[in-house]
Amino acid sequence: MNQTSTLRVRVRNIKDETSTIKRFTLESMDYSKLPPYSGGSHITTFLSLPSGTLERQYSLFNTTLEPGLFEIAVRLAEDSTGGSRFWHQNVQAGDALTVSFPKNYFPLSFQAKHHVFYAAGIGITPFLSMMAELAEKEHSFELHYAANSKEQCAFYEHLRTVYPDRCRFYFSNSEGTKRLSPKLLLDHRIGTHVYFCGPERMIEDFTNAAKSYGYPSFNIHWERFAPPVNREHKPFSVNLQRSGRQFEVPANTSLLDVLRKYGINVPYSCRVGGCGTCEVKVAEGEVFHYDSFLTEEQRCSKGIMLSCVSRGKGKLVLDL
Amino acid sequence: MNSMADLRAFPYPFGDSDVYRYSNNAIPLDPPNPIELTDSYFDEISLKRELLTKHPERCYHSAPHTLDAQWEVVDLIIDNLVTHYPDRFELEKKDDEWVFSNVQTNENITFTFGDSTSLKIEPLDFIGRHVQEDLLLMMQRDGNLFLDAGQLCFPANWSLYFDAGMSFKEIHSPIPGFKDQSLDDRILQFLMRIEAGSPWWRKNWSLLAGNRLDTSLETFADWGQARKRVTKENAGELVHLRVEVQKLFRLPKSNGILFTIHSHMLPLEKFVQHPPWLEKFYSILDELPDFIAGYKGISLYRKQVLEYLEEEMRKR
Repeated sequence: MNQTSTLRVRVRNIKDETSTIKRFTLESMDYSKLPPYSGGSHITTFLSLPSGTLERQYSLFNTTLEPGLFEIAVRLAEDSTGGSRFWHQNVQAGDALTVSFPKNYFPLSFQAKHHVFYAAGIGITPFLSMMAELAEKEHSFELHYAANSKEQCAFYEHLRTVYPDRCRFYFSNSEGTKRLSPKLLLDHRIGTHVYFCGPERMIEDFTNAAKSYGYPSFNIHWERFAPPVNREHKPFSVNLQRSGRQFEVPANTSLLDVLRKYGINVPYSCRVGGCGTCEVKVAEGEVFHYDSFLTEEQRCSKGIMLSCVSRGKGKLVLDL
Repeated sequence: MNSMADLRAFPYPFGDSDVYRYSNNAIPLDPPNPIELTDSYFDEISLKRELLTKHPERCYHSAPHTLDAQWEVVDLIIDNLVTHYPDRFELEKKDDEWVFSNVQTNENITFTFGDSTSLKIEPLDFIGRHVQEDLLLMMQRDGNLFLDAGQLCFPANWSLYFDAGMSFKEIHSPIPGFKDQSLDDRILQFLMRIEAGSPWWRKNWSLLAGNRLDTSLETFADWGQARKRVTKENAGELVHLRVEVQKLFRLPKSNGILFTIHSHMLPLEKFVQHPPWLEKFYSILDELPDFIAGYKGISLYRKQVLEYLEEEMRKR
């Protein structure tokens, strides 16, 4: 993350959406417009805590009628590791904060004939900006949204007012209403793209169901935020499988620098984990990935790492 | 401009290695300026406008879904111009009513931001006529990048007309060795992860027999023949090192990527005045594998250029 590319914002307004979800309206410090963003975008917020800076990602939307504002919704998590508790208990209207530029890792499909959103709980948030974009472009979409009750359903009135014919709500605590079920996926016409956001289990159930009903994986989308990164820089050692050489990587030095110091000519370019040029093959060992380049699948394959920013846990064996 | 000033302003394209291979050599762009004005500003924008008027089919292309992204480009570039060159460009804004002034060309253009009917030409075409850079718009659609719009007057031997609408990998498929070690996948992955507020840049180089900026594939017959006329004796004057400064910006509203290319050229006889550059370039050109030399259009006269460089090294 390039810290120079951040925005300073002020909290204009805080509103209780439900008993556990607050909506924060953010404005530019100099009253200019904040940057525009595409449907499905999020921002990283940087919270200054006594223990250090806490990075948290939140979907971006704007339910006000005024352009150039950012809004986020934060649910107070019972097992909060500090982020949501800080937002709920410490952040006040008028406070200044640092946030990233908008980023989008959950974009709308361009070629979809129809978009269907499935949200559970706070998982509604990325769909707010997606629906706003589709409504503006007059594209076809619908929302299926589950919450415990009408009272616990964030943005219920907003959604009913703005998209009256396109939303269906499912309340698990009310008698007589239907539950949100993956079987709904059977009712969409060919060319539909489906989007899921909610608890891990819900995403898994809906994704599996969609695949079993014959949806191409190209038409299935879901949002899962990266877990918070704890950038601890500890020393570790590397063994080079092919040459048998062995080096120590001190806490304040990168693996790339150590390899190059000993004459191993790893190509590199950006040195900030963004371009992918300094990738090395990992034969054994566990890696802390601090780059912004590799996909989740590439990380899970455990075969590669970017030597400029990522680090080993204890001992690494590289295929070099 | 004297030789030393030319040299100082020239974007030297080589790293610290004596060997050149294709790689992702991009680095973060700081300060994040998409545009740079040089001493040849007036000549180059005049040439661009002439080419756009005479050959619109090869210099401009756009798909209808790029209009929002085109307005983002206008916003980004005008903001950069009036901030960094306040003596040369002015902007008056009253809500969405904008008046953009180019002091040097004595033009004042009034338009409604976001309303394409308020301009005589498309937004990308309009703003491109005020900068030396070629402007290309890659739209991210369904997990891939496509060349969906562009204003291209100074291509280094490629065709916008031919590449329009193609994906990133389709456009680059003619490059020999570009798929080795999945370099094409890796660069596509890098591009798709570019974020708003964190632009990138890189330099690319080639040699040109002649000094034309408009070396489009369509006009190859006019300029490609000069490759056959290169000799050891005329290489210093005839052959130019051509460097493209390429910059990449994510456009946050449309999620597209703006790719700007600023082409710089220097005759070898000026380039070799700086001895470390001369030696490094000789090593790289001498070692350059045939498949890269072929793609960069150097094969026909590499021998003559090497002989010229050898002689220059002997003189020092």
